[in-house]
Amino acid sequence: MQTTTPTLELRNLSTEFRIGGKWHAAIRDVSLSVDKNETLAIVGESGSGKSVTALSILRLMPQTGARHGGGEVLLEGQDVTKLSEKQMSRLRGNAMAMIFQEPMTSLNPTMGIGDQIAEAVRLHRKLSWSDARKIALDVLEEVKIPAAAKRFNDYPHQFSGGMRQRVMIAMALACKPKVLLADEPTTALDVTIQAQILTLLDDLKKAYGMSVIFITHNLGVVAQIADRVAVMYGGEVVELADVNELFAHPAHPYTEALLRVMPRVDTDAANLEPIPGSVPAITAKPAGCTFAPRCALREAICETQHPGLSTLPGGTQQVRCFVRARQAGGQA
Amino acid sequence: MTTLLQVRNLVKRFESGGGWLGAPKQIVRAVNDVSFDVARGQSLGLVGESGCGKSTVARTLLRLIEPDSGTIHFNGIDVRAAGAAELRRLRQRIQIVFQDPFASLNPRRTVRQTLAEPLQVHGLGTPSEIEVKIARTLDEVGLPQSAMDRYPHEFSGGQRQRIGIARALVLDPELIVADEPVSALDVSVQAQILQLLERLKTERQLSFVFVSHDLGVVRHFCDEVCVMYLGRVIERGPTAQVLDAPLHPYSRVLRDSSPVPDPAARIKLSRIVGEVPAPTNLPSGCAYHPRCARMQPECKVTSPALLDIQANRQAACFFPMVEEALET
Repeated sequence: MQTTTPTLELRNLSTEFRIGGKWHAAIRDVSLSVDKNETLAIVGESGSGKSVTALSILRLMPQTGARHGGGEVLLEGQDVTKLSEKQMSRLRGNAMAMIFQEPMTSLNPTMGIGDQIAEAVRLHRKLSWSDARKIALDVLEEVKIPAAAKRFNDYPHQFSGGMRQRVMIAMALACKPKVLLADEPTTALDVTIQAQILTLLDDLKKAYGMSVIFITHNLGVVAQIADRVAVMYGGEVVELADVNELFAHPAHPYTEALLRVMPRVDTDAANLEPIPGSVPAITAKPAGCTFAPRCALREAICETQHPGLSTLPGGTQQVRCFVRARQAGGQA
Repeated sequence: MTTLLQVRNLVKRFESGGGWLGAPKQIVRAVNDVSFDVARGQSLGLVGESGCGKSTVARTLLRLIEPDSGTIHFNGIDVRAAGAAELRRLRQRIQIVFQDPFASLNPRRTVRQTLAEPLQVHGLGTPSEIEVKIARTLDEVGLPQSAMDRYPHEFSGGQRQRIGIARALVLDPELIVADEPVSALDVSVQAQILQLLERLKTERQLSFVFVSHDLGVVRHFCDEVCVMYLGRVIERGPTAQVLDAPLHPYSRVLRDSSPVPDPAARIKLSRIVGEVPAPTNLPSGCAYHPRCARMQPECKVTSPALLDIQANRQAACFFPMVEEALET
């Protein structure tokens, strides 16, 4: 199946933050790939590095206090970490677009939504305002904003939260990106609206043949939208699997714990099993496995050596755990 | 089980506009004819989407927002008629825990000061007794004694929520109103706090009014649930029954749009259409009829009352989903 090169591939990507005069890795050795017409979900708790991964792909990390710590970001084979800032800004919003969590703060409150989208189009295409506005109206209709033509000149505050998020999606799609990065796009929305936005994103992915990286902390949302899933913990990918495999046979103890800790609407859970302890601070990462201090399967080796990603038999599931890799007979 | 809190026909209206700037006067019925009971040691969930009035209900219970009409009885005492002294005594027995553990603690007070203040306000105990009491409460919510002289910014979100819970507990209340107490927390921390609340519920025989938008959390924590839509309770019953076999079409939509961690159970979304209408301009008849797949002409005209449909189950719908409930 993997005959063509993936649309986007991360190879050992690291990003570092300067804290107290020292550089600490916020994400390290992140290797992921997304194919055309595929949704990769990145799931993790606060501080797991999922948003930093997305911002690093687009090189949107602040210039001071953060730096590229090595690795490559390949967009159709081209390493974007080596591009100049000018070339990079030509890519952003064009071949790679991003949707943020808070649709109110991401839109310009002083400009009508139609013109905001048209402006984004004109930045990347040599088009007249009237042609750009036509494209803007098309995408607004495509994201199913009711009476899009009538609302073209309305301002962001005149829209509900769900509609604003649709406007954000329309803006991201206006230049027909190859890669769409969605950072918690439904977290601020009510569940019925969240369900509508998830369906919309899934339909658009198929219509455009996009590669989508969907960042969320909610495993329920992951099950809804993902084709493949990367579970992040402490700045690393600890498990990478096909969505069905991940939920049927979670391999990493952290993934298992996350599934046990989530209260479900469809079944009674007599007892949630909280994960003891908390996520380690970026400045105080354990020497061995990052999850070891909270792990029930911990062995002596876990506290001294850092596990790599092992591929489990079957070839599609990868896990960063000594114990589970050994039990499954996987190879590093 | 004895009824601890009895709420009947609660109404709260908010007005906007109508001032000299000339904006037209608009009335929002944030809470419209809400009634429920909470028994001792029981937890009642209020669920619904933004703007359904669940937080307003929570606040009117302590008269942090004054209701316009209706009655609230706490252990037989009329909360709305209570004078200043009586209300202060009542607030000792009813405490509230807020959503945002960052905004609800005073950043300039240590944990010791935060926890001692309610006891001092109510004149409960000498300084040494207060000291013992707050030390014991810290222990009860799972915080170390070393936390006593630290400031809120030194704690994580989950620990801050524990401080907020401890502040509610020092007065030994009988009812805790919890307004989205775990919504701002990560799932692993959320489970820790839920476990703590559950322990308090059984050990202290505490009653809860638990406001949440997360049906999974409500299913886990609440014995009974009221589903709210645009200021009204549209369905009420034991939590598991309501979620497994909802009677009101809106409860069903709400349940079906809550994602579950199982790729085999992907939501079929064709039926979930439209958004919550503006509360200033409510639809005629049943407020849900513009979004309802089962809408009949009757629904546009009259608003259905919350009626008994089955034992312990009430719904405000002319055509409750009784048949489907039997199938599933």
